[in-house]
Amino acid sequence: MTRHIPEAVFWCLLAGALAVVVLLIRQRQISARLRRSVASLEDSVRSRDEEVRHLATVRLPALMEAGPHQPAGAPGLLHGHLAGSEYANSLKMVSDLFSRAAQTAQARADQSAKAALMASMRALQGLANEQQLAISEMQERHDNPDVLQDLLAIDHTNAQFGRRAQAIAVLCGSWPGRQRAASSLEDVVRGATSRIRDYRRVEVHAQVEVAVVSRAVEPVVLTVAELLDNAARHSQPNTTVQVNLQPAHNGTAIVIDDAGVGLIEQEIRRATELLTGAGQSVDITRLGDPPQFGFAAIGVLAARYGFSVSVDTRSPYGGVRAVVFLPSALLAPVPDEGADSVRTRAPSTARHAAPKRPSGPVAVPELVPESDGAQPSGAEPAPVYGSTAGGLPKRRRRQPLTEPAAAAERPAPEAPQGRSAQDAAAIIGAFARGTRSGRASSSDHEGNPHT
Amino acid sequence: MTSAGRRRGLVRPYVITDGRAHPTRNTLDLVTLVIAARGETGGLSPEKRRVMELCRGGALSLAEVAGHLRIPVSVTKVLLSDLVDSGHIVTRSPIPSAELPEPAILQEVLDGLRARL
Repeated sequence: MTRHIPEAVFWCLLAGALAVVVLLIRQRQISARLRRSVASLEDSVRSRDEEVRHLATVRLPALMEAGPHQPAGAPGLLHGHLAGSEYANSLKMVSDLFSRAAQTAQARADQSAKAALMASMRALQGLANEQQLAISEMQERHDNPDVLQDLLAIDHTNAQFGRRAQAIAVLCGSWPGRQRAASSLEDVVRGATSRIRDYRRVEVHAQVEVAVVSRAVEPVVLTVAELLDNAARHSQPNTTVQVNLQPAHNGTAIVIDDAGVGLIEQEIRRATELLTGAGQSVDITRLGDPPQFGFAAIGVLAARYGFSVSVDTRSPYGGVRAVVFLPSALLAPVPDEGADSVRTRAPSTARHAAPKRPSGPVAVPELVPESDGAQPSGAEPAPVYGSTAGGLPKRRRRQPLTEPAAAAERPAPEAPQGRSAQDAAAIIGAFARGTRSGRASSSDHEGNPHT
Repeated sequence: MTSAGRRRGLVRPYVITDGRAHPTRNTLDLVTLVIAARGETGGLSPEKRRVMELCRGGALSLAEVAGHLRIPVSVTKVLLSDLVDSGHIVTRSPIPSAELPEPAILQEVLDGLRARL
């Protein structure tokens, strides 16, 4: 019996040892698994830390830098394996919120900057226009060439000053300003030439007889002035800037060639973007330093008035060829200078001539009482209808009914037999024109209106 | 504002005279008469072409030319002296005062007119 005891003990021990070994192995496995999981968790925490740091140091600044225009180029997650996870979604929310806030802040800053700039530029523009009027008056008044020379210099500087203010105001959403009469394209280009520093280097070759409609004159002048300024500024002082006017099928092109340094690929892309209005609202904080308003202002004008501008061609002289294409909608036939001068003189002559026309040739004796100023506006002595309380004669408005009646009966006694109505009308018309032009020229010679 | 007023000021005087204020000759004054001497206007600036058009119809005084072109008289002088230099126009001084009728005759005419009217 005693012989069996150690054996039992041995088996017990063996079983115990086995159990311990099994437990040890399991423990080992468990701890290995735990270690792995801790490692992966550590890894994951590290990657999230890195991700947050990446967000704070790279992605958000990039978003801030890029502005509202190109969100596509913003950098993404640092660790691709996080994509789609809850964590990544939260990060995305953060960056979205951030970019929205940045955009709002930027838009508000832009708006207030534009409003402030526009208001101050409008004020400057007004002053420049006022000064230009004063200078024009001085030029009329002084006959001394020395004085004129100084006035021309002041005038020139003032014109450039006005253009700068105008370009900035336009960029900030203002209207180009002064309303002008329809002017021939050549005058428009020369008007633009008036506003740049090196106006003497600009050569205009005009081959077209076409005018720009009234509402488009000022924008086109400003556009061409900015392009000419660029052309003259970026070329040698001894070269010329050539302007050609080219008629086209449905419009007219103004071609500006300079012999300057030209634009590099990147500049052309940027300019085209600005000129075609691809950026929509222009961000005035992004115009470089010093800010370049020219192309941006042209882009705004081109979009608003419907003409197009391109600078992506090389000129035959090696510089830039800028082309402004004005569609037919902005063009009109050249206004007749002669007709214009008659029309502008009309107020002085019409005052006398117009009321007289119904009374025809009989008007001649009536000139006498009128010419000594007793009766202004040459009205016929009107019938008196009673008198006022003060004893003055009371005059009543002439009845409009009597005029057609008088007109109807007049031609009969006047026209001799065998003359047609058209002939009679032509003769009377010629007579009226003759008297009018006679009076007009006499008033010119005497330098004062015919009274 | 009249269309003349709106057109004024588009092309500034320094562009018209190419920056010069001194006429090449100082014989021109307000009443100098200008007559076109040549027909062709090729190569001239628009203002000079206008002057030629205006003068083709006969003699015009310098003051009238300035008025038609709506530019200052002093600027017109520069333009016209250029045109004289290039042979496009000739100038003629106005009738000298010695050839004017006697003041007494004018007075008589004036008296006669007054008596009639």
